[in-house]
Amino acid sequence: MKRLLRLPSLLRFTLVFLIALVFQNCTEQKIKESTDETLNITDYLRDTEEYSMFSELLEITNYAPFMNTYGTYTLFLPTNDAMKEYLKDVGAASLKDVPVADLQNIVKLHILNQKINTTAFTDGKIATPSLYGQFLVTGATNKNGESSTTVNKTASILKSNVEVGNGVIHVIDKVLRVADKTLAQTIEQDTSLSLFTEALKITGWYDVLNKPIDYTTNDIESYLTVLAQNNDAFKAAGINNIEELKAKYSHLHEPLNPKDSLNLFVSYRILPKLQYLADIAISPALVTKAPLEVISAKLDKDVILLNEEVFNGVLEKGVAIVREKSDLTASNGVLHFAEANFAIKKRLPAPVYFDFCDQNEFRQLTSVFRIPGAAPKTSLAKSLFKDVTWDGNDPITYFKDAARGGTVGFGWHGDCLELLQFRDGRVQNIAFKTPVIIKGKYKVWISYRAQTTKVGLVKVFFDGVELPRQINFLEFVNTSSIPERVLESQGYKRHVQPTSSKMNCRLVGTIDVTVTGRHTLTLQSQSAFTGQTWLDVAEFRPVDMDQLYPKFDSGGDGFAPLP
Amino acid sequence: MQTKIKTILAIFTLFIAATSCDDYLDLRPQDGIIREEFWKTKEDIQAAVIGMYSSLLNSPPGVSDFPMSQYLFMHGELRGDMIAPGLNATEDQRDIMNSNIMASNDLTNWAIFYRTINYCNTIIDLAPAVREKDPTLTQVQLNHFLSEALAIRAYLYFTLARTFKDVPLKLTATLTDEDNFQLPVSPQKDVFAQVIKDLKLAEGYAVQDYGNNDSNKGRITVYAINAMLTDVYLWNDNFQEAFDAADKVIKSGKFDLIKVSNNTWFNTVYAKGNSIESIFEFQYSKTNLGPFYNIFFQRHQFLASATVLEDVFGVDFTNPANKDIRGDRTSLVAGTNEIYKFTGENNDTRKELQGADTHWFVYRYADVLLMQAEALAELNRGSEALTIIEEVRLKREAIDMTAETIATDNKKEVIDYILAERSRELAFEGKRWFDMLRNARRNNYARLDILIDGAILSAPADQQQSIIAKLKDSNSHYLPINTYELYTNKALVQNPFYK
Repeated sequence: MKRLLRLPSLLRFTLVFLIALVFQNCTEQKIKESTDETLNITDYLRDTEEYSMFSELLEITNYAPFMNTYGTYTLFLPTNDAMKEYLKDVGAASLKDVPVADLQNIVKLHILNQKINTTAFTDGKIATPSLYGQFLVTGATNKNGESSTTVNKTASILKSNVEVGNGVIHVIDKVLRVADKTLAQTIEQDTSLSLFTEALKITGWYDVLNKPIDYTTNDIESYLTVLAQNNDAFKAAGINNIEELKAKYSHLHEPLNPKDSLNLFVSYRILPKLQYLADIAISPALVTKAPLEVISAKLDKDVILLNEEVFNGVLEKGVAIVREKSDLTASNGVLHFAEANFAIKKRLPAPVYFDFCDQNEFRQLTSVFRIPGAAPKTSLAKSLFKDVTWDGNDPITYFKDAARGGTVGFGWHGDCLELLQFRDGRVQNIAFKTPVIIKGKYKVWISYRAQTTKVGLVKVFFDGVELPRQINFLEFVNTSSIPERVLESQGYKRHVQPTSSKMNCRLVGTIDVTVTGRHTLTLQSQSAFTGQTWLDVAEFRPVDMDQLYPKFDSGGDGFAPLP
Repeated sequence: MQTKIKTILAIFTLFIAATSCDDYLDLRPQDGIIREEFWKTKEDIQAAVIGMYSSLLNSPPGVSDFPMSQYLFMHGELRGDMIAPGLNATEDQRDIMNSNIMASNDLTNWAIFYRTINYCNTIIDLAPAVREKDPTLTQVQLNHFLSEALAIRAYLYFTLARTFKDVPLKLTATLTDEDNFQLPVSPQKDVFAQVIKDLKLAEGYAVQDYGNNDSNKGRITVYAINAMLTDVYLWNDNFQEAFDAADKVIKSGKFDLIKVSNNTWFNTVYAKGNSIESIFEFQYSKTNLGPFYNIFFQRHQFLASATVLEDVFGVDFTNPANKDIRGDRTSLVAGTNEIYKFTGENNDTRKELQGADTHWFVYRYADVLLMQAEALAELNRGSEALTIIEEVRLKREAIDMTAETIATDNKKEVIDYILAERSRELAFEGKRWFDMLRNARRNNYARLDILIDGAILSAPADQQQSIIAKLKDSNSHYLPINTYELYTNKALVQNPFYK
């Protein structure tokens, strides 16, 4: 010890340093360089024994490297049991016995190019097609009290939303199969649709429905949707065979002619685009292959009803879709079943009187709506309205006065819709959904309460097409002795009875409504109005109807008695 | 010299050694009191009990979850059929409304419940020892405090079991880090049994009257306990017991329904609170505001669904004066569908933001009356059940449009009528989904149609069928255990529906 202490200080220092080094361990410090250790899809599969067969499938089809790249994928992953069942189905002993092309299609059907969690699933198709090109359909079923989410109706999801490095995996209990039959083949195969098949054949639509989709172009537009009806539905309508069907519908006796009623009968059931029930449930009108004919759809509780409409106050019962059998995927579209026979309704143009205030949202204000003496003005915000939209964030106002009094009490129902400042940034391009208008030619009259100042010209658009005349909200009604027919020829009229000097009505143009249904009427202010704009009624009168009479009862609910 | 240095060194070492254990090396929190210094007097217990109540109002500083009342609202209403998402509804809230629930959904976080349960457990565990230290604390006083903690804990477990089905039962205080946090879940029926046991015990200890109205409505009384008992018994299908418990509240003569009149009734019962109709309320005040002004009005997350006004309260299109006072401008605002119950001053004017102190109503007298009616209906005493409904309707001047004439022996219709009346009376008070579920699950889900009809009414059209199919699985009626909990507590097993 003493000798140690006698060593020169430099040496002593070195010794201490060396001892310190000896005690300090010499192992390399481990620095974690990766921030994330989540496996990518292929590695995840290699890691998990239960999915070895799908992993093998990826290797055989050479998709394994691809599924290990970074990206956002969704994989529907069949378990080994599911794969074995698939092999049994196709009669192969192992995956190597199945043609590689088939396997590739199978793999492509199980992969989507986007990350989709189960929360995004609906009752219908997943918005992104599979890599194969076909859409997958989701839903849910209940078996023995246990519910699970399903894919393509048959496969149940066993384990959902497994996050991996390059997407998400849903484990399923059955291999998804490529739909290889066309719509025509699917329909023909179902014996209960024999009469419908015959109708397709004699009208030539069979070939259209038999045309396969070219998946490489990924053209959603060329998919078709068919609303079929079985023989029982025909029988219930008194049609037992193809001859009776022809006799009932084919008025030209040449079913191949697109103008023949039987041809229209069939084309009315064929809808463009791929529309699963979930899509139908949320679209109010379905365009059909029959020129300019639409089917209206509505969800009543849990039943989808086709063509249930109220016309002139009469409820026309609709036809329900058979849920259990529908949503049948074919290679080029989807097949649904209607419960009963339905056909194109022939309707003549009828006038539509659209009170701008008659919005459901205002109607719910029972203490105000059309109640004289209640709060005269009630404003509701933009987000509340279902059938009215506009640019800008100002609310719009329901304005009611005592009948034939006040400011707007002379209008129909004694109320008007008030736009406080009809201009850019406040309320602009206000668009109303009209009630159902039957196809035909109509004259459009718009009536309003005029102002002496601070308002101006307004353009009117029907379904986005500008109508020839503008409305000048400064213009009051002409109460001179000029006969009304003369005024009418100038595009003006006195729309309420007794005539009020405050209200005016302007013919904005003639429209050709090509499709029966609800349309859009848009008003656009041409300058920065600082005064209120008061809208009363929009009249759609068929061109061959009297454009003056019947007149509205000023301040009241009905029509004024005819002179 | 050497010896001197050695001596000095020795003295110095001794000095350090002798003094080093002094306080200044002891670490104690500077902003709080440690347990050893608390729990000494009855005032300490009182402070802990009040702390437990205030944890029901708002979360402690630094914790970012929602207030308890908002969770109670969301768990009780979102899955029902009377709510629609507002402009500021979060994705998680929308997913729950659409039965699109995953374990990663933040609203399935139950931390707030267990936080308050731990406050209760701490009182239950540590308060009895205070009696040895503070001779002025009587056994009766101690029992009062214990009844409050037991009842609050029971109510929270009751809510957890109604929301999550099987949940971990932690009945002892978490005092150190060495506690076992890896608790498995207990089956729902065991949780209910524990809740009943706790409430029975609490009832024996409970206070009848604190001497002032605010405490009587804001703290646990024997009546609040019996209201809770009625509720739990109904969930357990013990109808006679439910009837008896409700009877104790009703026969006490301390509660009544106030005759409705424009503005005053709303102002008394809801805006001011603590009225004769109320049994237990969370006492928000102007200095401790609730979340309602924000979530229902300013940045509204929730709206009444579009069908509520017409289908629940009824609308007389011919005579606007003929309306159910509990509907327009009480529960909601017609037209905008804003939920108004918790933000209004009276039927005409809304409260100001700074003054929006409306309470959260846990139990009201009408609730107990209608629960008793439910027990009566299940005991095949339909006519008595109808009498109660009629009594409520008469006091509330319900309109004829929502009146139903039904055969008293038709249990299904009587129950439906009670449910409809409850949806009017207790709209948006965090009851609807639990009412639907409680009645649906009875007799092995004999009335599953209640839930399915609700879904048909409120589900988005393109998901309706999936939602119905999901609801047919009884496990889907309960929320999943949050992913985070599963991660930290390996003893938990996820609800099989949320695989």
